[in-house]
Amino acid sequence: MTGEPIDAVDLSVRLGRLTLRNPILVASGTFGYGREMAALVELQRLGALIPKTVTRQPRAGNAPWRTVETSAGMLNAIGLDNDGVDAFLAHHLPYLGGLPCPTIVSIAGAGVEDYVALARRLDDESAVAALELNISCPNVAGGVDFGTDPRMCHDVVTAVRNATGKPIIAKLTPNVTQIALMAKAAAEGGADAVSLINTVLGMAVDWRHRRPLLANVVGGLSGPAIKPIALRCVYQVAQAVTIPILGIGGIATIDDVMEFLVAGASAVQVGTANYYCPNATMTILDQLPAALRTLQATCVANVVGTLDTRAHGGPSHGDKH
Amino acid sequence: MSSPLHAAYCPDHAVLASVEVVENVPVARDTFRLRVTCAEMARRITPGQFVMLRLAGCNDPLLARPLALYDTFYETTDLTSDPPAMGSPAGLDVVYLRLGKMTRRLAEYRPGQLLEIWGPLGNGFELTAKANDIRLSHLMMVAGGIGQTPFLALAQEALGQKTYGSEPGRLPTVSRVSLCYGARSADYLAGIEDFEAAGVDVRLATDDGSRGHHGLVTDLVLDSLQGANPPDRIVCCGPEPMMAAVAGLAREHAVPCFVSLETPMACGIGICFTCVARVRDAHGGWDYKRTCVEGPVFDASVIEW
Ligand SMILES: Cc1cc2nc3c(=O)[nH]c(=O)nc-3n(C[C@H](O)[C@H](O)[C@H](O)COP(=O)(O)OP(=O)(O)OC[C@H]3O[C@@H](n4cnc5c(N)ncnc54)[C@H](O)[C@@H]3O)c2cc1C
Ligand SMILES: Cc1cc2nc3c(=O)[nH]c(=O)nc-3n(C[C@H](O)[C@H](O)[C@H](O)COP(=O)(O)O)c2cc1C
Ligand code: FES
Repeated sequence: MTGEPIDAVDLSVRLGRLTLRNPILVASGTFGYGREMAALVELQRLGALIPKTVTRQPRAGNAPWRTVETSAGMLNAIGLDNDGVDAFLAHHLPYLGGLPCPTIVSIAGAGVEDYVALARRLDDESAVAALELNISCPNVAGGVDFGTDPRMCHDVVTAVRNATGKPIIAKLTPNVTQIALMAKAAAEGGADAVSLINTVLGMAVDWRHRRPLLANVVGGLSGPAIKPIALRCVYQVAQAVTIPILGIGGIATIDDVMEFLVAGASAVQVGTANYYCPNATMTILDQLPAALRTLQATCVANVVGTLDTRAHGGPSHGDKH
Repeated sequence: MSSPLHAAYCPDHAVLASVEVVENVPVARDTFRLRVTCAEMARRITPGQFVMLRLAGCNDPLLARPLALYDTFYETTDLTSDPPAMGSPAGLDVVYLRLGKMTRRLAEYRPGQLLEIWGPLGNGFELTAKANDIRLSHLMMVAGGIGQTPFLALAQEALGQKTYGSEPGRLPTVSRVSLCYGARSADYLAGIEDFEAAGVDVRLATDDGSRGHHGLVTDLVLDSLQGANPPDRIVCCGPEPMMAAVAGLAREHAVPCFVSLETPMACGIGICFTCVARVRDAHGGWDYKRTCVEGPVFDASVIEW
């Protein structure tokens, strides 16, 4: 063997002002506050950890049933159950700050002032590597407006940008007609990166009792079932903006990760897979260098957005085979 | 575990493994006992804790399902030594009801097929907690339907026949253990021989009267509470209305009662916030608590039914 040694592949990625040691992150709301996973995952190997979205005030969340399994996926309407930013700072951030992997804090609010207040609150915390603005949660009233109206999206990103020196990632919803417009608005507002997608709005019905399975009636679909939608969104956004993209949606294996990178994501977040395969991120990290080498890449950026859309012979293919 | 905050609860001792089915046999109507080898988990798990089980490589059903520890098993018992050396446990048994998407598939699994499993999870029963060193005279276990599964290991430990977990030699603290067990009909009753072999005083109720008392399991509970040797501790697992009713009876008779909740779960490890129950706080309010990490066993008096 005269090939390169494994460590010749540089896994580090740059996301605007944020540099991470590798592109494998865990998605907000799918990894608790990190320490729940300490027995099953080597947390120090993660590119970054994003704990569950934090709000200014404690939120009880929605009534059960909060999740329902569907074909190759699940619906959830948790409703941003969290103990509020004070409890987060007192009880979760100290632990997270002690970990050797960076923490990106996900924040949400009902108005611009909530996002700004949270950003100010977190600005001094050295344990916070960046902020992810959850402007895409389908399970709380008003939560998604910032993610569906380009003007509001632009304004909330700008306001947060003015309130903090931390890098900002805007997390987008797929529940819009043109996600690229939202990504553009976030980029113009000053986001360092965009992450996509949050869950896809859906529902499940128990016809025998003529009732919805979720107490909230509708909820967000996640898991392998939404991967094609997420890939499409990443691809479209990659055509529209120059800021980095964090791909999210149904990622569970190394093949999933490579598909997102090639489609235009600079990094990825593993979500629902943490529930049904708690060590999915570790398996992916074990296999990432070899997968990158398969494409003769020496760093992650070599493969990002390298999708060749002419592969099928151009737009007029179809009658040849 | 004194902090009321979510992060105080973590499955610190959990392990994740890919395991082969050793045995998967029917034990009652629509009810099966599944045996898997997993020594590391079996050494750690204690009564009232559960594991998450998933059909390996399967995307539909996608998620794992929570199943309670029924019992641990020992591969080899060295009968030549005196007393016979048990060694340490080789794996564990769960008993499950064939109900929906996942358990229908699981019932078809043959020895050698692969499952993914993580655990031990949840708090388990704190019955024999050394700290308060209480000695109970009568522990009554109340089960509805498949809710009997967490109780065999509990009874064996309480009666000093077997130890579980990493602190061997947790002393027997209970002189008498009884089980009030209700099911739809006689053919659904599972594992009665196991409980009787452990020396548990078993009382049965069926909805159709095909075995034991014709009526509800709560009738048996009331009978016992009003009888000559009433329980000084109740543990209960089953459908929610039944647990609420038993909790009510226990409160009326001032007997401490613990319930093992069976809320649906997606992860079992505290990261999804699916499994919440309304738990009262000290100030008269309540908050949704994750039963997979803060439970599944709760003091019945804090549950807002
Ligand atoms: C800690 C714990 C321990 C348990 N121990 C055992 C055990 O030892 N043995 C055992 O047999 N079972 C046990 N259970 C219950 C067991 O997990 C379920 O029966 C199992 O998940 C059924 O899976 P399934 O795919 O076969 O059924 P599913 O197809 O998931 O459906 C099962 C039933 O649950 C209902 N249901 C489906 N989705 C939801 C939802 N989101 N919320 C509420 N209800 C829903 C359905 O209507 C149906 O009646 C335990 C549960 C918990 C929480
Ligand atoms: C139960 C559940 C809770 C979630 N909570 C949050 C949350 O608090 N904040 C957030 O930004 N996204 C949340 N998400 C969305 C995920 O972070 C992710 O964007 C989405 O699930 C798609 O990725 P996946 O298919 O890999 O899960 C949640 C998803 C699930 C399934
Ligand atoms: S089942 Fe996921 S938090 Fe309890």
